[in-house]
Parts: sequence; structure tokens; C-alpha cells
Amino acid sequence: MQKRWLQVVGSTMLVVALAACSSNSSSTDSSTSSSSASSGGKTKIVYWTPDRHDAEFMQSKVDEFNKTNKDNIEVDMNVMGDNYPQAVDIAFASKQAPDVLQIDDFETYVKKGYLTPINDYMSDEMKQTFKDVIIDHKNEIDGKIYTLPNTGQTWRLIYNEDLFKQAGISAPPKTLDEMVQDAKKITDMGKAQGIYGFASPLKGVSGFGRPANTVGPAGVTTGVDGYNYVTGEFDFSMYKDIALAMRQMMTDGSMLPGVESLDIDPLRAQFAQGKIGMYFNHSGEPGVYKDQFPTQVKWAAAPPPTKDGKIVGAVQVIGGSYIGISADSPNKDAAWKFMNYVYSTDLQTKYYENGYGVSLIPTVLEHATKPTIPGIAGFLPRKYDALYPANPLSATESQVEGPKWTEDFVKYVLTGGDVDGIINDLNTRYNAALKQARDSGLTTIKADPSFSSAKLEGKLSKDE
Amino acid sequence: MNKRTAYLFIFPSVFLTLVLGVYPLLWALRYMFYNYQGYGDPIFVGFGNFARLLRDAEFWQSVVNTGIYAAGKLIVTIPLSLILAFILNRKLRGRTVLRAIYYLPTVFSASVMSIVFFIIFNSYNGVLNQFLLKFHIIGAPISWLGPDYAMLTTIMIAIWGAVGNYMLLFLAGLQGIPEDLYEAASLDGASEVRKLWSITIPLLGPVMQMIIMLAITISLKGYESIMVLTEGGPYGKTEVMYLYLFKLLFPVSPEAPVQQQLGYGSAVGFVTAIIVGIVTILYFYLSRKLNKMY
Repeated sequence: MQKRWLQVVGSTMLVVALAACSSNSSSTDSSTSSSSASSGGKTKIVYWTPDRHDAEFMQSKVDEFNKTNKDNIEVDMNVMGDNYPQAVDIAFASKQAPDVLQIDDFETYVKKGYLTPINDYMSDEMKQTFKDVIIDHKNEIDGKIYTLPNTGQTWRLIYNEDLFKQAGISAPPKTLDEMVQDAKKITDMGKAQGIYGFASPLKGVSGFGRPANTVGPAGVTTGVDGYNYVTGEFDFSMYKDIALAMRQMMTDGSMLPGVESLDIDPLRAQFAQGKIGMYFNHSGEPGVYKDQFPTQVKWAAAPPPTKDGKIVGAVQVIGGSYIGISADSPNKDAAWKFMNYVYSTDLQTKYYENGYGVSLIPTVLEHATKPTIPGIAGFLPRKYDALYPANPLSATESQVEGPKWTEDFVKYVLTGGDVDGIINDLNTRYNAALKQARDSGLTTIKADPSFSSAKLEGKLSKDE
Repeated sequence: MNKRTAYLFIFPSVFLTLVLGVYPLLWALRYMFYNYQGYGDPIFVGFGNFARLLRDAEFWQSVVNTGIYAAGKLIVTIPLSLILAFILNRKLRGRTVLRAIYYLPTVFSASVMSIVFFIIFNSYNGVLNQFLLKFHIIGAPISWLGPDYAMLTTIMIAIWGAVGNYMLLFLAGLQGIPEDLYEAASLDGASEVRKLWSITIPLLGPVMQMIIMLAITISLKGYESIMVLTEGGPYGKTEVMYLYLFKLLFPVSPEAPVQQQLGYGSAVGFVTAIIVGIVTILYFYLSRKLNKMY
């Protein structure tokens, strides 16, 4: 009897626990969602964001919404810590997803069934406002729009104006050869004081990815992330020139010693102390040097140098997906009202003017006063800044055998080798993996023979 | 105690083992035969993941790196912790304080200590290089975390973190040896060295066997401090098996979203567990053979 009793209790608990462990992302039973509730006449909406840099501003706007909305909606904004993607996955698996959430990986979130299409919620005016910046596989899939852009990162060459002046250099480099020469001049001038011409955070793979994806796509019209949109295949030759330039700076001794163990924040700390002449990064830097690493260094951002000094393609703006409504939310209408408020021109204009990010909304860029935070001027969108269509890199890299493209190029920059051989090997492996990803249905992105990144220019800004 | 009470006492641990140990294991055993990114329908690939693993040079390099890391750590850690245990087992002034100091690294989080060691060892403004440069011991900064020295640096840090722990286990073993054996040996005129070889080491044998086995499995599975210190770099020079596995299952990229590889990761997890198991069994078998010989 005792044994049977224990067996029954044990089996029941095991079944309950296993059921809780198993995730069934296709389930749309919203009645179990515990993240929101209608109580005391108020409709409560839970909003999750991983952004800390704008938390104070956004909280004040949420408070304003809570006070002024006429629909009795109360939004609870939660700024999540690290491991945001994991937190979202766990929340959906355990039916505790927020009603509105910031999107970390758009395509995966849609495939996992996390998001609600917003086509029917959007007014015609709103559709008109966003028509030029809604991108397939970044905002919509199969004609269903799930999210809209707000801000993005523009990418530049960041340089120390003081060091340039001391080394007798009058302007930032326009060609990659000039960049290599300038790095050498700065190093020759300042090495005794621990000053070097160039640095990149080569501890991680982004140490090559940052400069490569800033410079490479500017010099070609075929694509970004090593993906050629025209042929629908990978072609990493777009990174040959920047790889050669970085290797040359390494050989010349113009790179900060220890770049192979450098993360982006220690790099910024060194730059703030005036030890680095140049590096590549995005429009988050003005905020970094205002609050995180306040600096006396006079610095600026310049367009990416290319092989011949001309930008023929488009420099990728990272961004495009922002917030969306959970498919599990029992209060989708209320969630949309909040989402609509966040995307309002008024809120987005203030967000941009306060320097929290470079807006991707054309009407905001046209009418807002330009932000004045030091260093931001060089990051404001130019004609050559553009949102690229989605590409199959993420799906391909889940199938690729051997090192990733950034790993191979980091090794090349640090130790040298046959760059053409590396590119050929990458092309072979990535295209085999791409075929496998397509065959498995992991990506539906195909070649677009009419693609030219030059056609993307001017959609965000007409400024030369 | 009746049977019902006994079952009630063991029930929580059995239950948690089933849910948190056996269920995930069965889950991984199933998905290692699938191509699965964590969403959509898993695609059955049979032994495809294992075929890929056989061709995966990065994985096999991580196995070699794990061997170097574990061997480098154990060769120094075991003798050093044994010597420290001998010394601190004697009647020394302040030995309790010294024991606590040596044990302290075990208490700290490996990740936190790795950040401190990063501040010491990084090439561009690390404390160690600054010190060596200031006293003209070196002419240019040494890249402690660069391709040539990164593995050596991670091994040194691992030794620092492990010595105190094994020292404590050896101390417990030493204190288990009856004092009267030493007294009898002294009366017979045995020297200290003779006592060490004829009493201490033979009687410490079973404890030592257990400690070495523990040290082998921990060393083969260690990756946390490497993840913080070098992320497995530069270009895979310090990539160990479990770090490679972690990156497949929980990939993080500062630039673009990366997909989990739950199917392939499960296959890699299975093979790494087999490798650790084989090494441990091999050690156990050899140590038993040696026990019989001596």
C-alpha cells in the first residue's frame, strides 16, 4: 500500500514536472498567460526591454502613458538584465511572456510563434510613415508585419583628433592605404608614451566583424555579412581589402599591443585615455564617452575608408526590429495602444533629440532638431547609410562546418597566411551550409538579381 | 525508521535527479540524431551529427587543448597541494591562518577571479607587464593572453584556484593516518623520509586515488575561467571541450543573432561525456593495477 502510494505521488509529480519542462511554442492558449491581468478596471500590460541606456527616459514616457491614456491601461516596464534572449525563451515556455517585448532576433521569434502580426492595427498614416523602412525578414515575413524600426546604429571610423594633429595628419583617412599610413605615423610619434595608431577588440570575433562590416559593404554594391544578394551565395572577397589593411597594421606594429585579448570596453577605456588613434564602431560611442568613459580627448567619427576612397555601396545600419506584441497576450488591443504610443512621432522625436539613438524613421529625421551630444554629428545618417534586407547568415552559420568567417579572418590578422585561400575555403564551406539551410527550410531567402546596395542609398537621409 | 519514512527521505533527491538529470539526458540523447535549432520541426539526420563531428577540426582541437590544459594543471596541482598538506599538517605557528589563505581561492567565484586575473595579465595595461617593465625585467609588454602564452596563463590561474582545495582533501587524508604508526617508526629509528615513503604515502593511497580522479574529471570539464579570460581565443588556442559545447548551445554574439545548435550540440555533449568517462575509467583501471602491484 505504502509502495503504491509513493508510486502514485512520484509519478504524478514527475509527469507535472516534465510537462512544465516541455515547451510547445505552437500553443496559443492565452488564458494561462500570467503576465497581464485585468483587475480593478485597469488593463495591465507588461513590457520587457533589455535597454538600460534609455531606461530613465522610457520609464518617464511609460509613466506619462499610464497617467494620460483614456483606456485605463497600466503598463509595467521591466528592464531585464543580461541573457535577455534566454529570459524571453523561458517566459514563453512557461506561459509567462510579457505582452509587449523588445525583439532580439526577429526571424527566430516569428518562427517560434512569439509575435502577433500588426498589419490590421496599423493606420494608413502609420503605414505611410514607415513604408520606406519596413524590411522583409526584419519587420515582416510573408506580408505580415510584426515590428517597426525605431533607431539604429550607424558605423564609422572613430579617430582621436588630438593624436592626428600631433602626428601631422590633417584629415581622417579616405583610403585604406591612408589609414595604414596614418596608424604608422601615430605609432611612430607616440609609441614611447604607449600610444598606438589602431585597435580592434580581437579577443572576440567582432574584432574583425566591426571594421569588416563597416568597410567591406561600402566598397561593393553586392551585399553585407559576406552574403552576395545578387547571386544568393556567400562571397567573402568583400573583406579582402580590410583584412589586408589590418594585417599590414599588425605587421607594422601600429596595433595596440594585446589587441588579441581586448574587448570593446577596455578598448574604449584606452581610447578615452588617448592611447589609440583609430578604431571602428557604432553610434553608441557618443553616449559611452559622455557617461561610461568620460574623456577629455577630442575625437570625431569619419566615413569608412575604402580601397579607392569612394563609397559605392551602402554602409549597413544595424537595427530595424524594435518592439512587438506577444502572441500569448490576452490583451492585444491594449498592448497595441501602448506600442502605437511608443512609435508615435512625438515620442520618437524626443528620443532622437535626447541622443538615445539615431532614428530610422524618415519623418523624425526630417523634422527633429539634431541631437547635440558631443561626437554625435559624425554618426548622423548620411546618404550612404542604409538598412539592408535580411540575409541567411544566421541560418547558414547554424549549419556551417569549421571556423566562422570572423574567426578565420581574426587568425589571419594576427598571424598572416594566404588570404585568397582563406576566402575560397570560407566561400566553399558557407555555400555548402547555405544549401543545407535552404534544403532544411531554415531560410527561404533567395537570390535577387536586381539587387544593388547603391539603390538603398538616400532612403534614410539625403545628406551627402 | 519505517520504510515509508525512508522512502519519503530519499524521494526529493530521486525526484530532482529524474527531472533535472535523467529527463534532460534523455532529451539530449534524442536530439543528437536531429538537426534542431530550438524551433520548428526537428529534422531527423540519423548519425549525420556524428559524421559532422568526426570532420569537425575545431572540436578535435578543443579535445587536444583540454588534454594540455588538464595535464598542465594536474602535473603541478597534485604534487604542490600534497607538499602544502605535508607542511601544514606539521605543528607550525599560524598554520590555521595559512590553511585558510590557501583555501580561500576555492571560495571565490571563478568568473570574478578571472576578471581580476585579466586585469593582471592583459598586455596593454596589465599589472604584471607594468611591474616587469618598471623594473626593466622586460623591454616590451609580453602578450600573456596572446597565442603563445594564453594556455600557460590559463593553466597557472587554474592551478591557483585548485591547489587549496586539494590541499584540504590531502590534509584530511593525512589526519586519518594513526599517529602511533609514526611513533612506532620513530622508536625503530626511521628517518622522516623513510616514514614518508613507508607510512604516509601507502596509507594515503586510497585518498590520493580518489583526489586524482576528482581532479581529472574537474579539469576535463573546466571552462568558466577560460570563457571570461580569453573566450577560447586567440583563434581557438584556449578553446576547451566544454567551452566549445557551451558556445553551440548558448551562442552569444555582440553583432548579430546567432542560432542555437541543439541537435549538433547534443551530439557534441554526448561525445565529450564519453571522452571524460573513458579517461576516468582508464585512470581508475590503471590506479587499481598499480595498487595491486605495490
